[in-house]
Amino acid sequence: MFYREAGQFKTSYKADQALMPILQDRVGLLVILAVAFVVIPVFANDFFLTSIMIPFLVFSLAAIGLNVLTGFCGQLSLGTGAFMGVGAYAAYKLTSIFPDANVILMVLLSGVFSAAIGAVFGLPSLRIKGLYLAVTTLAAQFFLEWCFIRIPWLYNYNASGAIEIPHREAFGVVVSGAEATPIVRYFIVLGITALIAYLMANVLRGRIGRSWMMIRDMDIAAELMGIRPLQTKLMAFAVSSYICGVAGAMMVFFWLNAAEPSSYSISLSFQILFMVILGGLGSLSGAFMGAAFIWILPVFLKFIPGTIGINVAAETVEHITFMIVGALIIFFLIVEPHGFARLWQIAKQKLRVWPFPY
Amino acid sequence: MNAFATDMTAEPDGVPETAHSEELLRVDNVSLSFGGVKAITDISFDILKGEIRAIIGPNGAGKTSMLNVINGFYHPQEGTITWRGKERRKMKPYEAASQGIARTFQNVALFKGMTTLDNIMSGRSLKMHRNFFWQVIWRGPAEREEIEHRRKVEDIIDFLEIQAIRKTPVGRLPYGLQKRVELGRALAMEPDLLLLDEPMAGMNLEEKEDMSRFILDVNQEFGTTIALIEHDMGVVMDLSDRVVVLDYGKKIADGPPEEVQANQNVIDAYLGVSH
Repeated sequence: MFYREAGQFKTSYKADQALMPILQDRVGLLVILAVAFVVIPVFANDFFLTSIMIPFLVFSLAAIGLNVLTGFCGQLSLGTGAFMGVGAYAAYKLTSIFPDANVILMVLLSGVFSAAIGAVFGLPSLRIKGLYLAVTTLAAQFFLEWCFIRIPWLYNYNASGAIEIPHREAFGVVVSGAEATPIVRYFIVLGITALIAYLMANVLRGRIGRSWMMIRDMDIAAELMGIRPLQTKLMAFAVSSYICGVAGAMMVFFWLNAAEPSSYSISLSFQILFMVILGGLGSLSGAFMGAAFIWILPVFLKFIPGTIGINVAAETVEHITFMIVGALIIFFLIVEPHGFARLWQIAKQKLRVWPFPY
Repeated sequence: MNAFATDMTAEPDGVPETAHSEELLRVDNVSLSFGGVKAITDISFDILKGEIRAIIGPNGAGKTSMLNVINGFYHPQEGTITWRGKERRKMKPYEAASQGIARTFQNVALFKGMTTLDNIMSGRSLKMHRNFFWQVIWRGPAEREEIEHRRKVEDIIDFLEIQAIRKTPVGRLPYGLQKRVELGRALAMEPDLLLLDEPMAGMNLEEKEDMSRFILDVNQEFGTTIALIEHDMGVVMDLSDRVVVLDYGKKIADGPPEEVQANQNVIDAYLGVSH
């Protein structure tokens, strides 16, 4: 009843191919942005920002990065964690070498390094497809993790083998290091994530996004339409790794404050991959939904026993949370293998004709 | 009927049929084998500018292999291909595409996850040039380019009468419409040579009539040279200017439809002979 495009006529192709041609969608997005930029900063406490919102946004961005590669270009990758690590270590080195430079700029720049490395590890994709390609990206994961452990230059010969984020200021505000306030961190993470998500939406609706989807859907036909497979795939690898790199750098600079090589292990790769699959391959909003499901749901589940007054040991809660989330993953994949994004689409379709069945 | 389509019924203002003389593509003594299997043996024929050239033959005769050779999928072991008067070196399919060869497939090869509109837009890929930087910004040049190509694509959508399914993902369309979208995608490339691999396979009579009309319109209106593979002899004989017949990878006849129809080798190939 409320979600209907009836009466909204488009008189130009520009209006027709807008990101959100339907008015209700635009309003919805504005509401979400208002909540993210105004309501949450005003009302949320530090715990909510640090433990829920910041990691959620970081993972969303990483999921967008992987979605570009796997969801839009069809190249399965298990190296996400390592590419995030490259971003983190690159940003750390950059800010060590240029301590006076704006650290936000350094974080954005660090993605360039992971993009380059991602493109190199994308080279086998010309010959190898599907699961086999995933195995070659595993090589990236293990090799890069090895680098993070064995090349002491990367962590400034720190005795602990970890990178510790130094105190940095930008525009007169402490943005990183232990003294940075959650609210500042939140705004930086939110700003970068929203900006990259918007820019990616632009890329994905244009020629380049289409060329990725052509490769994904039918690579032989794509080649016949004049798409160069290698360039197109490498570009997807580079863009995807850039985004993952920025997400990885944000993860350590604005969330964890310190990171060891094991922070960027294969389990992180799998975590991001599950977010993408569960959220919906080939959907930007799905990346956010998947990240919310995998990250926020367990946090809430952990609080349920305490709030309803049942006294359970912390470890038991942990285990039960694992089981419930696992069961929910299976449940949702059975209900809709194409993820939350498709569920949302179906819901919108139903809403459009409501109260009639069709 | 829109104005664009009514135009088509008018007298074709292109060149008269007899004027097809300029050679667009010529294959000379081409042989192709996969290990010990010879798919094509010593085949030569030419395609003249502006004609509809049919390639027919029984199953496994090497017709599709021939198309794959022409658009660069397979590289023949022997023989030469001359494109617009110049001998063509070994090339990749995307190079053939950029030289103006478009193609549809026997089993529809659309981009299943994309809408009809996006599928046809994908045919414009080679003609769009805005780089990553402009695409990221979108406002301005990239958007203008997109709209400019959208206009061309909408013309094709009008021409093929598929306005209603513009925003439908192609995976949900019935087979006949998918074939039509695939033709639209190839047309969006504005090719000089259009290769159609069984454009009417699996269609009913009405759909075949529609498709035949589209093929003729494309040929006469846009002057596009067409090479088609088809099993429906009625369609082949009606549409094509000249027919080449393959059997077991060899050429057994070549000429105007009437002549080929009367050729004893062709009749034997299709009906079989007693030994």
